[in-house]
Amino acid sequence: MTPAAIQARLFDGRTARAQPVRLSVQGDALRAAGEDGSGHSWPLRDLQWPETTRHGRRVIQLRGGGSIECDDAAAFDAWRSALGQRDSWVVRAQQHWRATLAALALLLGVAAAGYVWGVPWAADRVVALLPSTAEAAIGDAALDSLRNGLLGPTATPMARQAALRDSFARAVAAAYAEHERVPWQLHFHSGGKRLGANALALPGGHIVITDEMLALLQGQDDTVIGVLGHEYGHVRLRHGMRAVVRATLISAASTLALGDVSGLLAAAPAVLAHLGYSRDAEREADAEAVLMLRASGVSPAVMVLLFERLAAQPESARADSLPIALASHPADAERIAFFRAAAAGR
Amino acid sequence: MNIDTTAPAAGAAPPAVGFDIAAALPGTPAPQRWPLRFVGSGSEYFRIWIVNLLLTLVTLGLYYPFAKVRRLRYFHAATEVGGHPLSFHADPWKMLRGYLLVAVMVAAYSLAGQFSPTAGGVAFLLVALLWPALWHSSMRFRMANTGWRGLRFRYTGTCTQAYKVFLMPVLGVAAIIGISLLTAIEPGVQPTGQQVLVGLLPMLLFMALFPWFFWLIKRQQHDHYALGDEQTRFEVGVRGIYGVGLRSFGLFLGALAVLVLVVALVGVGGAMLLGMGERGADTGGGAGGLISNLTGVIAGVSVFLGYLLILTLVGGYFTARLQNLVWNGTRSAHVGFSSKVSAKALGLLWLKNWVLTILTLGLYYPFASIASARMRLQAVEVLSDIAPETLVARGAALDESAAGDAAGDLFGFDVGL
Repeated sequence: MTPAAIQARLFDGRTARAQPVRLSVQGDALRAAGEDGSGHSWPLRDLQWPETTRHGRRVIQLRGGGSIECDDAAAFDAWRSALGQRDSWVVRAQQHWRATLAALALLLGVAAAGYVWGVPWAADRVVALLPSTAEAAIGDAALDSLRNGLLGPTATPMARQAALRDSFARAVAAAYAEHERVPWQLHFHSGGKRLGANALALPGGHIVITDEMLALLQGQDDTVIGVLGHEYGHVRLRHGMRAVVRATLISAASTLALGDVSGLLAAAPAVLAHLGYSRDAEREADAEAVLMLRASGVSPAVMVLLFERLAAQPESARADSLPIALASHPADAERIAFFRAAAAGR
Repeated sequence: MNIDTTAPAAGAAPPAVGFDIAAALPGTPAPQRWPLRFVGSGSEYFRIWIVNLLLTLVTLGLYYPFAKVRRLRYFHAATEVGGHPLSFHADPWKMLRGYLLVAVMVAAYSLAGQFSPTAGGVAFLLVALLWPALWHSSMRFRMANTGWRGLRFRYTGTCTQAYKVFLMPVLGVAAIIGISLLTAIEPGVQPTGQQVLVGLLPMLLFMALFPWFFWLIKRQQHDHYALGDEQTRFEVGVRGIYGVGLRSFGLFLGALAVLVLVVALVGVGGAMLLGMGERGADTGGGAGGLISNLTGVIAGVSVFLGYLLILTLVGGYFTARLQNLVWNGTRSAHVGFSSKVSAKALGLLWLKNWVLTILTLGLYYPFASIASARMRLQAVEVLSDIAPETLVARGAALDESAAGDAAGDLFGFDVGL
């Protein structure tokens, strides 16, 4: 039979002296009867009940100071459940392995869902709110830093630059209505050893194409337009900013979840995630390139030429210093298939 | 008061305790030892940890203060001093307010840095101005919400003292940032030896002075812990901290040298194999490539494992020695501490923890946490020459500000005991 009262020790919060008492609950108050006949009582709502743990004592915390310790945890639990008291649902969930495993599965599910859908959705909302001046500032800063390192001065003649800018402007006009277009600036640079034959897009509309790429695509201006169209797709769909915001959100979420694990581990998921997102962005940009080429009356098959020529480059000329650059993207076979299918009208 | 902690001869009386004759009132009990016992279990904490993680993620972080309170409550209740557990009383709702405030601050600080160096500088200045106040607040909050035998602990330091303590480190960091901005080396231009030296100097100076800053902080903490009438004071000199720091750094360099040697050997071994492979056959070009790849992979893995080894062993050594130094040198009028964590044991435990945590993709983390806490806590004893019953509560004011505690967390400082 469960006793209605149990033995405990009262600490009144004024001194550290232990007073042996018998605890019982009467009405909505906890009563403690001391050995010397003294009595204390506290309303139940002023008590903080202990969680049920496997080891250790049970200690009731009294609001306003003091505590009541009970050494016999089993007796305490029995007494408490006889009173109809229960732990919060969170504590009860912890005590059953099945519930905990379910929580683990749910955790992994939520994390995966957040990664796949939640973060991109949130990132896109944030990017939509960003003013274009902020994007332009970030893009300008990125371009400056690239000019100081990876990009060198161009050797392309001014006339050729002007001609390319004109044909690209016409292609943009042909492909997109007025309200769909975004401001762009086309820059020519030498890619050097690090970037080689390459093209890249930065927030704020900066599109860079390297001399080496122009040399690679010598005589194939249609393919050049395709490449520029691909980069313009990145600009128009704000992939750069979306990637930055996603990476920031991922690293913030990882830090929150992993807590006090070293910074090294916390940064890794963010970096991996960033690489992953680029592939989706590339597919979208490829679709934009197809759109532009078709609007200019050119077959999307000209892009296949680009991949063939990139692959034909010697090992040393291959560049993957910059993940956002064109020549750094994996899965050439998949993309070639995409352009071939587009050319066949599918 | 002196507590003689040298080991007594076998079978001899308990260690001699010298104190004022005037204080030796009749009836004073013999000196007591209250060993610390940690009764937490990894499997139990695992369940708390998983549920915390799930709820924190689902609520996009809003549950975090509640999770922290659950964790601290578990760890405190599992720590028994002289047979009586510690208690933790913080109200998570109050912590939520503080936590949101600090989160906003952190967001503003990170964003400011992205937009312009001046904005970043201003943000840094603001954080530097607020930080000591938040730290002080965090100390008071944590101590006031920790209890033993029904009494609450206290932190008796003042906010002004906190500012004095952090003045030097903040100035140091500001000096480094300032000098690095002023002497910014033009990219692409080869820096002169002098420029490199000027650039590195503030950093080196800061590293050399860091143990001193750390000592100032520890002194501020350990001079002001109180329970009842007992207030601690810190009897460790700066030299002690430098001793531990330099020894750990020496260990780190030694371990690094060993790692470099190992990687070099692997590299040389791989190169020799490569040479053999090339001499083997002209058509064996593929094998040469494979060997070079393999060597690269092995080198990479060795570096990673070496890094892990160094972090855990040196980290464990440093933590153990520091804990022993700091707590052996902390005592109040009637209470002292004896901390005997084995540096080797802790280092090996940390190594085991990290390896298992990586192998289980993080699921071992709560078990690791419990094991580490157990080893560190159970190596500590409280030595007292008064009976605990004589402790009387002093100053009932509970600190209401939980913002400081949140700041301690978000900036990575663990200002707990």
